[in-house]
Amino acid sequence: MALIRRNWNPKDADEWTREDWIAIVLSPLAYAALMVGTALSILLMPLGYIILAAGLALTLGMYWIINPKLSTISDAYEKKQKAYLEELERKVKWEDVP
Amino acid sequence: MVELSFLDWFWIVAFMVLMVGSGVLFYRLGKRSEADFFLAGRGLPWWLPASSVYATHTATDTPMWVSGVIYKHGLAGLWYTFFSAWCAISAFVSARIFRRSLAYTQAEWQTLRFGGLPSHLLRGWTAGWQVFMNMFILGWVGIAMGKVCHYLFGWHPFIGLTVFSVACAVYVLAAGYWGVVMADFQQGVIAFIAILIVSFWGIAHAGGPTAIVAKLEALGQAHRLNPFAFTGWFGGDFPIAWFLTMVVIAVIGGFGMGTSIDWYAEAQRIQSARTVKDAAWCIWSGTALVLIRNAIWGAAVLGFFVLYPNLTEVKDYEMAWFRLGFDTLPAGMLGFFFAAIVAIHISTISTHLNLGAVYMTRDLYHHYLRPEASERQLVWVGRLSTLLLLLGSFVFGSIMENITEWLIFALWIMAAGVWLPNILQVVWWRFNGWAYLASWIANLILSWLVVWVLPAFGVIPALKDYQQFWLLMVLGALVYLPVTFLTKPEDMKHLVKYYAMSRPIGWWGPVRREAEKLGLL
Repeated sequence: MALIRRNWNPKDADEWTREDWIAIVLSPLAYAALMVGTALSILLMPLGYIILAAGLALTLGMYWIINPKLSTISDAYEKKQKAYLEELERKVKWEDVP
Repeated sequence: MVELSFLDWFWIVAFMVLMVGSGVLFYRLGKRSEADFFLAGRGLPWWLPASSVYATHTATDTPMWVSGVIYKHGLAGLWYTFFSAWCAISAFVSARIFRRSLAYTQAEWQTLRFGGLPSHLLRGWTAGWQVFMNMFILGWVGIAMGKVCHYLFGWHPFIGLTVFSVACAVYVLAAGYWGVVMADFQQGVIAFIAILIVSFWGIAHAGGPTAIVAKLEALGQAHRLNPFAFTGWFGGDFPIAWFLTMVVIAVIGGFGMGTSIDWYAEAQRIQSARTVKDAAWCIWSGTALVLIRNAIWGAAVLGFFVLYPNLTEVKDYEMAWFRLGFDTLPAGMLGFFFAAIVAIHISTISTHLNLGAVYMTRDLYHHYLRPEASERQLVWVGRLSTLLLLLGSFVFGSIMENITEWLIFALWIMAAGVWLPNILQVVWWRFNGWAYLASWIANLILSWLVVWVLPAFGVIPALKDYQQFWLLMVLGALVYLPVTFLTKPEDMKHLVKYYAMSRPIGWWGPVRREAEKLGLL
């Protein structure tokens, strides 16, 4: 079994899996590296280039891991959305309240 | 005082026409329905709400605040702006859950997550609180613009407060969220270009990047180049304990909803995205741009520091970035810079006008007063709500000097004692509406005691902000955890419905098993 799964069916994509947790870990690290790396790179400090490159690599890695799963979730959910919206509007109109 | 040439005025007038006009153009789309007036019909590709996230969080007071912390702490001050990193996790967790709930607002979500009386009490409380907060933020940001106009042109601050907010209200009233998000896109582009030009111009004026580094070393201030220049574990003005607290609040907060005051604006953008994927990437990329923008400002403010290293008054050094623009840009570019400041300003104003109005319309009027209201009526109530928020913001802006301390406290209580409950409501099925309500009530009392009353009577020492956070979190838990276990869980049918729709993360075992039994998964 591959370490990172990139082909999803709707049922499996709805579960919280290792890919979600990897994105959860990489994402704040990417933010921090992009912020610090940008500031130091503008000041032409070599460490800044390394940190900025790491930030970009983390961002791309995160995207590569999580985007296929998000696409599958989105496609499957859009099919159910209309019914859920009708349910939501019923609640606003108090029809669900006994 | 700044003297503007004909070319400067041309930039200002042209940009104002472009900004207001681009919003008004979407009048026909905005008036179609409540969903259009407040969520642009839930059909936006990720980059439109992303630009709105970025533009909204670039307000007139933002460069002042970033200038202040960078001038004071050097690049370590960037961490003060890292609170927005809650979107790092939220993009893949709470944004996904919230988008699937389809709730217009956080207040509405609470009636989907919780049931019975507490859910309605919470909806009313959250909606009322958000109407107040948006009015307050409008006043706060508006008076910051008043101060900038006073600094530049000598106008009375009330003129700067009202003129641009009224211009902005034209397209928010006409086109609702469609106008907001379309104008935000071009305002975001204008603002980012101006931030790049002014910052790099300022850096060049300070001698260029290499000279700035050399001058900081010559001044004995090289530590300002180190983003991790801590002052020890607990002592000094940048202790590791503060840094770790900030990281926890910001990053772990992404598992919850409402752990940051910015959640409420982001929730609207999440819901306006056309798919779950678009919702996730819109807040991730919009916030990434916010953090990169802060870094650009940070480098520019270091340039300002080497030009003026001895400023001691906050009111002087918090204008650092504005001064780099107005003191160094050539004639003809000043108007462009001011037009960009107007773009920065009204992108924030437009968001909060529409955001406050959605709580007033959807959660108060539509839910409690006229559940059978037509789409046409709801759009008009949305407009009336927008107008009320605008007028209220003028009152707040006028008295802001006197109430700022109280309202910063109001912001603080939003974050501290309810931070963990805001996460628990997302991740733990057993956490119920009564417990969440209890956490709010407890926090209102405890925060007064911990921040003001007990230190004033010498019962506890005056604590640093990060110490207050941990203490309020523990004391709050002593109230809401017993309430959780002493009251019944939410109705299982209600929870199953919510679970099947939103598929939340965390401890939902019993609900999941029931949903599987009913064949809903």
